[in-house]
Amino acid sequence: MKILVTGAGGFLGKAIVERLLEHGQNDLRCMLRDASKTRGLETIAARYPEARLEFVTANLRNPNEIPRAVAGADIVIHAAAALKGSPAEMFMDSVVASRNLLEAIANELRHIRVVLVSSFGAMGVAELPRGAMVDEKTPLEQHPERRDVYSHSKLRQEQLFWEYREKYGFELVVLRPGVIYGPGGGHFSNRVGLSLFGRFLHLGGKNLLPLTYVDNCAEAIVVAALSESSSGQVYNVVDDDLMTSGQYLSLYKKNVRRVKSIPVPYFALMWGSQMVERYSERSKGQLPAIFTPYKTRAMWGGNQFSNAKLKSLGWRPVLSTREGLERAFAAFRAEPEKAK
Amino acid sequence: MAELRKLRVGIIGCGKIADGHAEIVKHLDGAELAAVCDREPLLAEQLAVRFGAAAWYGDTGEMLAQEKLDVVHITTPPGVHLPLTRQCVAAGAHVFLEKPLALTAPEAKELIDVVVAGGKQMTINYWPNFDPPAMEFKQMLARGVVGEPVHVEAFIGYDLSGAYGQALMSDAGHWVHRLPGKLFQNMMDHIFNRIVPLFPDVEPEVHAFAYKRREAVRNDGTDALLDELRVFLRGGSVSAYGSLCSHARPVANTLKVYGTKATVEVDFNNRTVVSTTSQRYPSAVGRLAPPLQMAGRYFAEAKKNIGQFRRHEFHFFAGMSKLLELFYAGIRAGGEPPIPYSEILRTAEVMDRVIEQVYPATVAAGGAR
Repeated sequence: MKILVTGAGGFLGKAIVERLLEHGQNDLRCMLRDASKTRGLETIAARYPEARLEFVTANLRNPNEIPRAVAGADIVIHAAAALKGSPAEMFMDSVVASRNLLEAIANELRHIRVVLVSSFGAMGVAELPRGAMVDEKTPLEQHPERRDVYSHSKLRQEQLFWEYREKYGFELVVLRPGVIYGPGGGHFSNRVGLSLFGRFLHLGGKNLLPLTYVDNCAEAIVVAALSESSSGQVYNVVDDDLMTSGQYLSLYKKNVRRVKSIPVPYFALMWGSQMVERYSERSKGQLPAIFTPYKTRAMWGGNQFSNAKLKSLGWRPVLSTREGLERAFAAFRAEPEKAK
Repeated sequence: MAELRKLRVGIIGCGKIADGHAEIVKHLDGAELAAVCDREPLLAEQLAVRFGAAAWYGDTGEMLAQEKLDVVHITTPPGVHLPLTRQCVAAGAHVFLEKPLALTAPEAKELIDVVVAGGKQMTINYWPNFDPPAMEFKQMLARGVVGEPVHVEAFIGYDLSGAYGQALMSDAGHWVHRLPGKLFQNMMDHIFNRIVPLFPDVEPEVHAFAYKRREAVRNDGTDALLDELRVFLRGGSVSAYGSLCSHARPVANTLKVYGTKATVEVDFNNRTVVSTTSQRYPSAVGRLAPPLQMAGRYFAEAKKNIGQFRRHEFHFFAGMSKLLELFYAGIRAGGEPPIPYSEILRTAEVMDRVIEQVYPATVAAGGAR
């Protein structure tokens, strides 16, 4: 069985390739935008003598570069997405790129199983009460224009996949990871806080962090991709033993480096968000509305998370949260520049 | 008094810069963002959703037929400005275009001719020249504070690792690499549109040279892009230096005019307009005064900027708001456009001279055309 992984050279993509090999899936085609990223994948493949890795350098913005990557694939795992850039660039690399991939899949005119790595950001959590459970039944975001551009682009991406599935009838599995962390990843999710004017504003308080260690997340994607019962299903991906934002920050300070943090309680954050939004409107955008009550509720409102559905599929974490954090912090200590 | 009907505004080209246009139009009195269009409908959709435009299109003809637009902002790469302008003018719309206006000066002239022949108005997004300090400098010039310009220095910095620069440098297929003058062509309007209005209306001498300061390591199409440009110009009795500099820090954006009565420096990034003091008092004691006088002038600028901030006049694209206010008012009243067409064309002609000198091979090969 040939499996295509898009974004294979990325933080999550590499882990997906490794988990596929671990599951005995050796016939892998890795799609990369940047040919220099093959080195990391070759290092992984060297640990698996049976591995047959094929590299396809393609930019998903260009529809004519995709068919050769999709040709002959039985499963397509779409992990490529934009994490930064201008709104237009993020939509190009997440949404337009997905449409191009879906067109190529539809044009194959044969059975292909499609696995999308979506995001928690696609869900409409701002209107949930604080502390509410976020699971697979949580509706998709209804007001993407009020959220950040990343959430908007991931929502539109997921919608496209469901639209194309409706139209072309392929098998689709959607995974929505929470905060993916691990060596090579970011040090802080915005859910913990933001660096502003040389200080770290700790905004997450005692909210539970929907953490998933990169290998655990990749394992979830692979288990769902290979499961016979996952078709048409959505799976939220979070690990066991979740910790709060405050616990993460204090462990980080203890194990990685000193951080001058200022705790901002939720009521103060909401008040500040209202002020920022009002000022932005009154001043006709003189300062951007980077904080609004809607965004604040979505990002820092605080929720409960469940991985019960994922577990019912047979997924088990590769590492515990304690082990995952140990590995992540050890890597963070070695690369402090990524803390920014 | 009856309220004026809002001008129905459309945007063609929903890339990065379109965000700036949509944000300004959203907040302008007397205008509404009616529709947006991109040949990639998903890009049009995201812009419409984020800025509350009522409709989005993947086809220009369809948008123009459906929406009865008063003004269309054309924010596409310059290679398609002329055909899009033809379509918009034929549909009865005025046009606001991103710089550069076209690939060559003759094409820019053709574009303006199309607008004039269609009885419409156009202008180009020379927004920094309408920012508060630039407007103040124009008033100083008109009041005779500077006297006659003798020499002008226009300097713009560019950050190849910044948001725009990175998009360019990470993609050898980016449209800027296909412009005959590459990065310079996309940026140097902002150098010469400051110099040209200070020159007499004669064809200037233009001496340009450019080079690549960064090391070529990518082995792709991005390596052909030069990143440092120096131009010397003379028009009648006025001379000028123009520079585009990708490596000096901080990334500056300044205009310095040496006049017969005073020397004035406009700092577009810091939003200051300050005339240079001279020693008025004798001896060593006299030399103590000018820095203090300069400090006082900068302090006055800070105070003025705080006032503008308090009055909500200190937006990043304040100049674009001002330029659009003037452009839209001219459309309503049938008055003069805010930037004389002759100035736009003279800027385009200087750019052609520069490109011929620094990229002779692409010009000989016909550039991106």
